[in-house]
Amino acid sequence: MGTLTSKWLTLLALLMVMALVTAACTSDDSEEPFVIGVMDSVTGPGESYGTVIVQAKQLAADEINAAGGINGREIKLVVEDSKCGAKDAITAYNKLTDVDDVKIILGTSCSGAMLGAAPLAEADGVVMLSASATNPDIADAGDYIFRTAINDAQLGVDTGNLLWADGIRTLATITELTDYAEGVRRTTVAQFETRGGNLVASETYASDVTDFRSQLTKLISASPDALHVAAQSEASGGTIVKQAREQGFEGPIYTESVPSGTTALEIAGEAATGMKAVLPTPDLTSEIGRTFLTNFRERYGFVTLAWFLGSAYDDVHIAAECLGRTDDDQDADGFRDCLYDLTWSGAIGDNYSFDENGDVVGLSNTVVQILPLAERNDENMGYTVLGPAPTE
Amino acid sequence: MPPAFLAAIDHKRLGQLPRQMWNSSQGNVEVWANVVIIAWAAAFMLWQGEGFAISVGTIFAIWAILAVSLNLVVGFTGLLSIGHVGFFGTGAYVMAVLSSTATYDQPHSVGIPTFGLPFFAALPVSALLAGLVALMVGIAFNRFRDDIYVLVSFGFTIIAFNVFLNWSSLTRGPFGIHEIPRPEIGGMVFDGELEFLLLALAFLALIVLVSWLLVSSSFGRVLTAIREDERAIEVFGYRATHYKLAVWVISAMMAGLAGGLFASWTSFIDPNSFILLESVLLVCIVILGGLASIRGSLLGAMAFVLLAEGMRFLPFLPNEYVGQARQVVLGLLLVLLMLFRPQGLAGRYKL
Repeated sequence: MGTLTSKWLTLLALLMVMALVTAACTSDDSEEPFVIGVMDSVTGPGESYGTVIVQAKQLAADEINAAGGINGREIKLVVEDSKCGAKDAITAYNKLTDVDDVKIILGTSCSGAMLGAAPLAEADGVVMLSASATNPDIADAGDYIFRTAINDAQLGVDTGNLLWADGIRTLATITELTDYAEGVRRTTVAQFETRGGNLVASETYASDVTDFRSQLTKLISASPDALHVAAQSEASGGTIVKQAREQGFEGPIYTESVPSGTTALEIAGEAATGMKAVLPTPDLTSEIGRTFLTNFRERYGFVTLAWFLGSAYDDVHIAAECLGRTDDDQDADGFRDCLYDLTWSGAIGDNYSFDENGDVVGLSNTVVQILPLAERNDENMGYTVLGPAPTE
Repeated sequence: MPPAFLAAIDHKRLGQLPRQMWNSSQGNVEVWANVVIIAWAAAFMLWQGEGFAISVGTIFAIWAILAVSLNLVVGFTGLLSIGHVGFFGTGAYVMAVLSSTATYDQPHSVGIPTFGLPFFAALPVSALLAGLVALMVGIAFNRFRDDIYVLVSFGFTIIAFNVFLNWSSLTRGPFGIHEIPRPEIGGMVFDGELEFLLLALAFLALIVLVSWLLVSSSFGRVLTAIREDERAIEVFGYRATHYKLAVWVISAMMAGLAGGLFASWTSFIDPNSFILLESVLLVCIVILGGLASIRGSLLGAMAFVLLAEGMRFLPFLPNEYVGQARQVVLGLLLVLLMLFRPQGLAGRYKL
């Protein structure tokens, strides 16, 4: 090895050491803010929603601090990347609880990451509150595990009922193979068949697929009354809607929140017009929700998956409320009891609370219909609200 | 497996292992420099938080098993495979299905059969089944070499991922399997993080020992000869395909074992943990550490895991971008390392 190379290596080593030492020093704050952890998928497969969820949380924290903090103390978020899987969730969790001594964690974005970290949190007595993990299995994850995300199962039941109420009798489904999308499909089909409907064709695709024409051709050839799309990423959701129309499908299309997101609607264009989607809650029609979305757009220049952003935003405000009551960011048990007792009105709805599984109750799903391209704008998010999901 | 291999293990050489490792690190200034950096970073993490250091250590142990076993194929035999994660995943799923005790009682949950086998009964099955899959795949792969090997092993990774994702009556597809228990033997439960780390390190030591015995035997020399010139070694009467198949299966069994450990450690697995990217990262670790060097793979795994996790301490970044910044810096460091040490931290060969 040449001397030049070894000098470079030494320099590299020094830089690393300096970075680490600096990190150690900056964690020494004198004002002692309340510290809470944030675990979201800011890189990896869940990046498209994990990143904006972190932004929404940061926005909420900055608002709280600008308004004087909690009991005069600021709130500080420590963000860790849990990617979308159990492995990174576990290291992120250990880093937050061990290095930053956090007892309250807002996260994770993905159900897989949640199910990886939840057993540790449950054993350590650390509270986790997720804005977007919808997997039904999370309800069983433990006493310290909460979410403002609505369990997939409810969404499927509502969609199944809606299909039946709209006179749909034969259905074809196309589903991304992720826990969320597949969960929605399973419960939708189960409810639809319970009501007497008939599933005539179903196709699935892996997350990295970008062309759906062959699957769609098969589905359309079964001549269903309607097509149901369940996607995890907006890009695939939007593309499916666009290609379904290009392949000549003229029946109604039903979907969940992802293919009706802003990015998905941009991809689908006019093809999405008339599509019906079942979304959680009156979609940020509350005053708090509207103000939040305006602020978010102003700060980051872009809004997508508004409901999940609102959910993340509410989580920080809920945390602030409970910290205000316990006045101690190390008191996880107090924080947990506060969550069980709490009834909250925020961006995603009024008077919602948590049941004994830590699942959110009091939020309901809404049916929306996508507007023609010319009528879509930032204000209406591209759709008109038809009303609550039918229960019959 | 050729009987020549078994006969080739010289038991006397076992005793020389520590001495040999010591000797080969003498005078290797750059290796020592790396060891110092890594020790420093490890000490720093330990000082920051013991629990975090333990979980980083466990990841290191599992990735080191994967890297050492992959090096047998990539470094020593010269078959550039990006299919290792398929065997890792097979091992993990075998462990999950055999040992999980979860009952899926939520409405519309996908149910799978539960066996509730103990960890130490399921682990050999993890390794064996991964080996069996490797045997079947390997028979087909044996006719390929060089660049083509990358392509076929790429294909294997994609197939394996899709099997995990689509075979939902066994793997629960995208929902994943949870409540995978921690190891337990004779009333001793490895449920603490430290106990599990020690267990994983013990398995790593075993894998290193077996790999070292393999590569320092005449079997290992045949592998090296295959890497240098497959035709030449056949002229001497060695059936290169047998040797290639044998090392491929052994390596896959080690990956299966790592998979079993991984499933038990995370207690939850889904197909997302076994994507192609993980395979590519593994090849990066092997190259970063040094081809055809067991010590290199250990060093590479440690450097990589510490770099990736050490990035969590990068200061003065706004919360909204800290995750992305980590990835960028990690990539930059890898590029720098390859620029200045193309043969890897401890390797002798370039790719």
